[in-house]
Amino acid sequence: MAIKPKVSEEKELYVSPHFPEYIRPKIEDPGLDETIKRITPEKIEKAYQAVFGKETARIKAIVETCIHCGLCAEACQWYLSNDRDPTYAPVAKVKMTAWELMKRKGKVEPSLVYDIARIAFTECNICHRCSLYCPFGLDINFIIGLVRRFCFLLGVVPQRMFEMDQAFMATLNQVWMSQSDYIDTLFWREEEGMYELKNLRIPMDLEGVEVIWYPLAAEPKAGVYHIDRIAKIFQVAGVKWTMLTINDSWDSSNMPMFIRDFFTMQRIVRGLYDNGARLRAKKLILTE
Amino acid sequence: MGFLESVALYSFLRGPMVWITFIVFIVGSIYRIYTLTNLAKKEKVVLPFINLKAAIKSYFHWLIPFGSRSWRLRPYFTLFTFVFHTGIVFIPIFLYAHNALWYESWKISWWTLPDTVADVWTILVIIGCLFFIGRRLFNPTVRFVTTYSDFIFVFICLFTFLTGFLAHYQWLLPYRAMLNLHILFGEIMLIAIPFTRLTHMYYFFFTRAWIASQAASWKTKDW
Repeated sequence: MAIKPKVSEEKELYVSPHFPEYIRPKIEDPGLDETIKRITPEKIEKAYQAVFGKETARIKAIVETCIHCGLCAEACQWYLSNDRDPTYAPVAKVKMTAWELMKRKGKVEPSLVYDIARIAFTECNICHRCSLYCPFGLDINFIIGLVRRFCFLLGVVPQRMFEMDQAFMATLNQVWMSQSDYIDTLFWREEEGMYELKNLRIPMDLEGVEVIWYPLAAEPKAGVYHIDRIAKIFQVAGVKWTMLTINDSWDSSNMPMFIRDFFTMQRIVRGLYDNGARLRAKKLILTE
Repeated sequence: MGFLESVALYSFLRGPMVWITFIVFIVGSIYRIYTLTNLAKKEKVVLPFINLKAAIKSYFHWLIPFGSRSWRLRPYFTLFTFVFHTGIVFIPIFLYAHNALWYESWKISWWTLPDTVADVWTILVIIGCLFFIGRRLFNPTVRFVTTYSDFIFVFICLFTFLTGFLAHYQWLLPYRAMLNLHILFGEIMLIAIPFTRLTHMYYFFFTRAWIASQAASWKTKDW
């Protein structure tokens, strides 16, 4: 007979005041807990009008065509890995967020905004699998994305996710890396790599190249060996390539996209394309 | 039972109501499709994104049972939904009894289903309706997202086909009463289509085109 270790299984539970079947462990996240204290009914309605106010073709088609069949549930990893809990199904997530908002035309309480933010940010990772299993091919991601934008406009976003967005707002990269640190890192890796591959160079801002490589910010920050490895591969393959140091737009990751901060998202993407055009590169290669 | 089996009710349902029903259904449906297309034009990113070739491939892929993985994961649901949906579209069109009515009104007729086929198919449609109702009541995932309108849709279909079948065999109620009920439910169903989520019947082609174009842009299969 197996010995059962004495572990306290009692976790404090959070039961949604709006949906009694929604039971989760209680988690403290200032990004949700503190921010909902600051939002007012006017702000909530304004955010709703900005996102759902105009009934667009996609919102109308998706919400009206959904026949509530539940086939999307079988696709969702959250649903499958949580013992088929009905509140994790994609259609359930949309029910507790978008349908609720649209039914009440944005006149909802801050406590519901907490539920909505918790569901849209932490219980869905917008992988699109549900859309591929839906008989109508409904773009459920799009609706979750709209809900995320609604929450972002109110500032109700899990702290870690918003912190990453702020890193992009300030430095255009995910890890608060300064431009001088970045350039120093490139020189450092070039020096390290030279000992292993003769005449290794990490070109910076070369024009008319085949390839610009835009790394993930994590690479110069924490995974620095990736830089010299990629440089060695390009050099041995004989590819005319370069990295970019003329401005801050070198990080190819885009966390603002995940919280639907369109403004910062656009700054990043536009920066990458503009640099590509400026250096007249044929291809832009992104780590991610 | 007096009013329900009256000739007056029959004349009304068989006469002016048919006109009203078909006009509302056809004009309403065209209006819904037209407004959705217009909204799509206004949304600017939608129409340029649509890949027509991918969309048409997707229609075939998803309108064939067990074509997509989602259908294959749920064999019973797939069987019932295809039999049900093809039934509610084709049985009313190719039923002998309905054909006789068209001939009576417009002197037109076309190929009709053999009696046994029509009977069996109708029973399968009725069983399909019961299967859907059962799903909505007993499957916790579906129950959580089911609304009143979902039940109303499937009950209208159920009653239409049930009353039609019972009227043909003259069971349960006097013939005229059952017939009037059948016509009434059928007309309610057709009129409800442009005003409710029953528009999914043609919106399917729009939403399917979108995700098919999306999958094509990713260069992945349509699953």
